[in-house]
Amino acid sequence: MSTEIKSTELKTDEMIINMGPQHPATHGVLRMLLTLDGEFVKHAEPVIGHLHRAQEWQGQNRTWFQYQALIDRVDYLSGMFTSWAMARSCEVLDECEVPERAEYLRVMVSEMNRISSHLLWLGTYLIDLGAMFGFPFYPFREREKLLDLFEEIAGQRMMFNYIRIGGVQRAPNDAWLKRLKAFTEEFEDRVDEYEAIVTENPIFLKRTKEIGILPLSLAKQYGVTGPSIRASGTDMDLRKTKPYSVYPKLEFDVHWLDKPEGGDTWDRYILRIREMRESNKIIKQCLDMLPTEGELSGKKQNAGLRVKAGEAFSSVESPRGILGCYVISDGKDKAIRFRWRNPSFCNLSVLSELLVGSPIADIMAIFGSVDVILPDVDR
Amino acid sequence: MNAAEIYKLSRLAIFWLSVTFGAVWVACWGVGVFIPSLITGKMPFLLQVDNPSTTVVFIADLLRSLTPILSLLVFIPINAMFMVLFERRSLALFTVRMGPNRHGFDGLAQTAADAVKLLFKEDITPRGADAFMFTLAPIIFFAPSIFGALPLLAAVTNNHDLFKVANLPTGIFYILAAASIPVVALVMAGWASNNKYSLVGGLRSAAQAISYEIPLVLSLVTMCLLAGTLDVVEIVEQQKGGILNWNILGGGALSGYDKLAPYWLNLVDTSFDTSAMFGQFYPVPWLSSIMAFVLVICTVLLFGLYLTGACAEINRIPFDLPEAESELVSGYNTEYSGIKFAIFFLAEFTNLFVVSSIATVMFLGGGDNPIPKWILDRLPLEPISNALGSLLSPLIKDLMFIDPATFWAAFWVIVKVYSIVFFAILVRGTLPRFRIDQLMDFGWKRLIPLALILFVVVVFARTWVVCHG
Repeated sequence: MSTEIKSTELKTDEMIINMGPQHPATHGVLRMLLTLDGEFVKHAEPVIGHLHRAQEWQGQNRTWFQYQALIDRVDYLSGMFTSWAMARSCEVLDECEVPERAEYLRVMVSEMNRISSHLLWLGTYLIDLGAMFGFPFYPFREREKLLDLFEEIAGQRMMFNYIRIGGVQRAPNDAWLKRLKAFTEEFEDRVDEYEAIVTENPIFLKRTKEIGILPLSLAKQYGVTGPSIRASGTDMDLRKTKPYSVYPKLEFDVHWLDKPEGGDTWDRYILRIREMRESNKIIKQCLDMLPTEGELSGKKQNAGLRVKAGEAFSSVESPRGILGCYVISDGKDKAIRFRWRNPSFCNLSVLSELLVGSPIADIMAIFGSVDVILPDVDR
Repeated sequence: MNAAEIYKLSRLAIFWLSVTFGAVWVACWGVGVFIPSLITGKMPFLLQVDNPSTTVVFIADLLRSLTPILSLLVFIPINAMFMVLFERRSLALFTVRMGPNRHGFDGLAQTAADAVKLLFKEDITPRGADAFMFTLAPIIFFAPSIFGALPLLAAVTNNHDLFKVANLPTGIFYILAAASIPVVALVMAGWASNNKYSLVGGLRSAAQAISYEIPLVLSLVTMCLLAGTLDVVEIVEQQKGGILNWNILGGGALSGYDKLAPYWLNLVDTSFDTSAMFGQFYPVPWLSSIMAFVLVICTVLLFGLYLTGACAEINRIPFDLPEAESELVSGYNTEYSGIKFAIFFLAEFTNLFVVSSIATVMFLGGGDNPIPKWILDRLPLEPISNALGSLLSPLIKDLMFIDPATFWAAFWVIVKVYSIVFFAILVRGTLPRFRIDQLMDFGWKRLIPLALILFVVVVFARTWVVCHG
């Protein structure tokens, strides 16, 4: 037996951790392959595809009418926007006019949907930060009211199938409009309530400031859109930069932060809060300006729905960023090709750069702040 | 505010606590008092022998000595089961939800049902795990919280004869020593699970416990310094006589005012010269009063320090990093299932109960009534208690069924402990979680210096004020 000590150096290994797909905080079925040096991330690789449902392929095997009922599932938190993106590209192709009343209704329900999506994000983000049982349920209280309104107007709480090619599905009645008005009036106070407990909370600030800094150049490189890029110093919002529908007639601000060196997770949080307030303003205006009479759809809504031959791309500003739909039609009952541009996919791919160097605890704080919906990534 | 839910929750707590409290009370009396006195006193008379045999005396002694330990072993887990429900219902109240309210009376059977479900679940030991350590960890986690509470037993029952089992002269030292054992169990669980999340969770809990035990112990040491003793029974004894005598308000710095208040308020003989008595408590007139005030601030801060350290010690939000769901799945207990998980879960609440009891004993006067004695004396309580006493006299007289002082001590302890528990739940319902490095910063750079400063300030301030010690 030799008493000699061979090496005095402490040997440390890197640890490889599979975070997900069965992890309580990965918002569904994301798998992240993390290489850890102690508690710090050396390399992060999001592995996607666990929720792949061939949404694009399904579009080529179903009639137009069937497919528009299906695409709400792509981004299940903001189904109005996926419907709207598809409807818009089909309308471009078809050169059909959308009645003004339908346009107002579309803007109204979409902004409601934006609020409900951000509310869910707010609740789950706080859960990511460990405020497990207390505050997160308050945003859900308001979201519940919105879902009730959706249920009444569209027949479904999350898979609406409300915005159709050529218009919308049905008109709201007076009671519904009244309830929505009541909601918009109290909602501002509710947001104040959230801000009072979250925005200046010292632990929340400690957990969110100065982490996950996303420089503008990196964001552009990866195609990040939505509030995540607006926190990094650009005012890119399709509703203003490339106005569509009746948005030019409405008064609202696009909030962004002039921080080209990069916005942190707190910046992305505060932008979403402000966006909710703006959406509330838009809904209020739509309620005032909504024509009481008029057509709801420029096209007949039945199984024989056809779209003229050609190809078109068009996009809308969803809560997560630019949501685009590319479609090729040969004028028959089914599309030749559907191709989606999903904001979550681009927002997710930037994670592999954002996470490097951060401790394990910040992974969820950063991941939550870019707001990713997994079915939207995998389609 | 949701008044209906608040009413339901308080009704639930009152109902459950009186039922368990009453049952444990009757059981203690039956096993510890009634049966021994029956077999040693009444039986020889009936059998017409002069003295009970040695065997009978031995059995009676055994029953007497086992009673307090058994009462702890029964009361603490049952109480922890209720605390689980209490926490779930309270959180539901804070978060505009309903909470479990279906099983039994308003959900009382919910935790029992959960426990039974966990009991029948498959007990999985992961491949590659160290099976022996894996099994041992929950046991080591659970046991010290009960045995650590033993010296507290006499302190919270007004030093009743039956419960004088572990009146150690170094009581608080023993309690703290026992309270630091569970950390070993967490590291064991983390290591033995053969899971990376568990390992990180276990190591985190070790780091956290080491950092936060220092302010925790320093705050208690400062209180012992004011009390002049480590014996918890004596510490409770010193604090008797109303809220002004409690350790949280200066550790006895205000008891002079408490004693003099009836004279100043002309409630008793006004010819009495109070200045001599005042000088006895506050030797240097102005400085002493200022120092008494300083001591009050210090002890209130120390109470906060203790609660913060205790929250970290028992891994509650905002310090629940060892089991942070969003990062480590469930930390050290990720791989546990079935009854082993149930034991971990119950032990967490047992620990909460024990640290709240320590806070009650060390800061909040143990079983003491918050109303100052000179007010209490003026209330017409005696006729009421006499009337009640004569009503219950057939029970009380011979059998010592109810010792009023012990009863009220236990009552106030439960009220105080549940107030602290409710506070801990409220914190859990509000705050997000710290990050590990921020947690360490907060512990080492804020709490420990604060504890040391308070220690020094208290040492200086108490030279001008007569405290409990």
